[in-house]
Amino acid sequence: MIRRSNTVAWLFLLAALGCSRPAEERTREDLQVGHAQNAALEVQVASGLAAIRGLAHDQLTLWLSAPSAEVSLVVHETLQLELRVENAMAALELSDLDAGQVLPVSSGAGGTKKSWALTLTPGSWHFGLSAPGAAEKSHFRFALMSDVQEAIDRVQDVYRVINTQADLDFLLGAGDLTEEGEVDELERFQHELATLSVPYYTTLGNHELGERPPAYQQWFGRANFQFAHRGVYFTLLDSASATIDPLALEWLDGWLADARDSVHVVAMHIPPFDPVGTRNAAFASRAEAAALLAKLAEAGVDLTLYGHIHAHYSFQNAGIPAVISGGGGASPERGGDIGRHFVVFEVDATRGIVSSEVVRVDSED
Amino acid sequence: MPASAADPATHADAPLSAEPEVTPPSVANPIPASPAKPLTRDRKVAAAAAVVPGLALHGSGHYALGHQKTALALLISEGVGLALLLGGYATLRATGNSRYVAGPAVAAVALGAGLVLGSFGADLYGTLATDGGAVDLISRAPPRLESEFGYRYVADPHFSYGHFVVERFTLRQGHFRLEPSAWFSTNSSNVRYRVEAAYRLIGLAPGQIGKRDDHVELVLGGLHQRYLPEHFQRSGLELALDTRFDLSHLGDTLRGSFVDLALGYAVAKVTYDLQGLSVPADTDDLLLAKLGLGVALRGRAARGSEARVYYDHRHDDYAAGFLTPGRISGVFGKFGADLRWYFTPRLGVLVDAQVGSAWASGLSLLLREGTVTALGASP
Repeated sequence: MIRRSNTVAWLFLLAALGCSRPAEERTREDLQVGHAQNAALEVQVASGLAAIRGLAHDQLTLWLSAPSAEVSLVVHETLQLELRVENAMAALELSDLDAGQVLPVSSGAGGTKKSWALTLTPGSWHFGLSAPGAAEKSHFRFALMSDVQEAIDRVQDVYRVINTQADLDFLLGAGDLTEEGEVDELERFQHELATLSVPYYTTLGNHELGERPPAYQQWFGRANFQFAHRGVYFTLLDSASATIDPLALEWLDGWLADARDSVHVVAMHIPPFDPVGTRNAAFASRAEAAALLAKLAEAGVDLTLYGHIHAHYSFQNAGIPAVISGGGGASPERGGDIGRHFVVFEVDATRGIVSSEVVRVDSED
Repeated sequence: MPASAADPATHADAPLSAEPEVTPPSVANPIPASPAKPLTRDRKVAAAAAVVPGLALHGSGHYALGHQKTALALLISEGVGLALLLGGYATLRATGNSRYVAGPAVAAVALGAGLVLGSFGADLYGTLATDGGAVDLISRAPPRLESEFGYRYVADPHFSYGHFVVERFTLRQGHFRLEPSAWFSTNSSNVRYRVEAAYRLIGLAPGQIGKRDDHVELVLGGLHQRYLPEHFQRSGLELALDTRFDLSHLGDTLRGSFVDLALGYAVAKVTYDLQGLSVPADTDDLLLAKLGLGVALRGRAARGSEARVYYDHRHDDYAAGFLTPGRISGVFGKFGADLRWYFTPRLGVLVDAQVGSAWASGLSLLLREGTVTALGASP
């Protein structure tokens, strides 16, 4: 009887620890990103493409997750509002979509932090945040850098090399910005980003899950989202729990349909398959991994990007070119021939992925 | 309390040998069975000691019971397990999960964890088990033929399947075993075929009788899974060493308990069936590691009945890897428990429950032929 009781207790413990949808809460939290209100103002960022980092009577601070975003405001009383936008492209402009005019920037022109002074009367307002030409199909470069974690003290080395890259529109991240995902670590990461000359659009990694509930989305925005830039679609997915929540997969179906006739890049932290399968730095279920890749291949995805493994791998999954780049500085994989690094991609809205180049950060590499 | 006073002396500390101990069955010389004894105060104290300080010092329960040799064996098992576990983990950390050492290091972690958990469980079991007749119940050779027909429910939010019919046949001839099996979804087109061919390097063959159920098998497996609605198939081969170690080798008090351990490697090809698209297949490989701790069932359960809890590292089946809210989600494989209960020498049931990325549980009817009882061959 005692043995039977022990077995039952053991099974209950497993049931309590395990769950088939560990990312469900985070995925539902995505729906709250970009919404805030106070007595004078209601804010809604379309598709949750910015985290609202602060909302006071006279100030609204946004952290952009994408090169472009639309912001709707419902104003209840006349306001003098300072709109502060962080993680912005250098050329980002604010447009009054109703009036069809670009508003003059108050400070931060050319940097990733900008602000605008707005006089708002009661009613609805619609603003667009976008760089000139961002909606046109064209050619550009972006970089991928992930897995900084405990190496935050040395991340400026990486940023210095990134800043030397010409014509880089933005840096893409595939998670593991921090070691534990604690608030002070997230704050530190954003503070360090101040020296980076381009914005950093990212999803989260398993190392952001040390806090429960994770604070990540309050600081960096949605874990699952899609944006388009110069005719190329980017979809970032939350695979930090070695699975993708079924709700996010529902959203993915729509995003894949939207991007079906365009160049499409999909990024997430944990790769569906680890090129070294016995290591198992991959999805918890190989069946779920294959089902996801079949879906991406069927939708004509052009490139898949991952982090999690602290090295550089270039391979194919379901015939889609794949790059794992975990070169942000977290304890590197020994035996790999590339240490700290990032990867620069050249993409064209009509030609697809034109080229990729691994850029090493440490000269001894 | 000395060992001889607590339990009848039998075959403690006998080594695992290539030739299993074989006792010809006869009516004149049946394998002895003794009645279950009540749980004494000494055993209750020993069971408490198996928890505190036993959680840290495995074997404490047996030490309190006066079984120093068994206590030492369990402590050594814990030490070896901890060394493997920590060594494997340190290797992974120090090398940043290097592709060159990750497989063996993960295997060391799994094996070490199995030894640590196994030695703790064995200590607790040995202090609580009071049935001296256990040796009678665990002495069995495998049946020549066994079949399983049952139902499984799989709760996986990523797939539309849920209900499965399960069929398995096991045929043994001498030291060879052939085991085809299949899972057919009744509410989806999902199907899994599997076949195992095994050679028993150590252990009883059908028709033999021994007092212990140790075995070592070399297993070659083939697997084919079809996920038609999801447009892919997975086909693979695997090679594994599948072992069972009867814990009575460590002491009389552990009669009726055993540890299962399997280690191997699997490689699979994932092919995609997308209409109008030619998609190259992916190759995937897996570390196979399975650890179980079980007990033979007594009382009204017929010979061969057993209950087991286990850990299975494979990430490619229905339950797959264990999901948790924290940052280690997906690292571990699935956990499970199964119960085989034979009502008669021929007829029994199997109850199985697994938790990983999905829940899988169900019930099967078992039929077997060619078993051996203590008094002679079965009908």
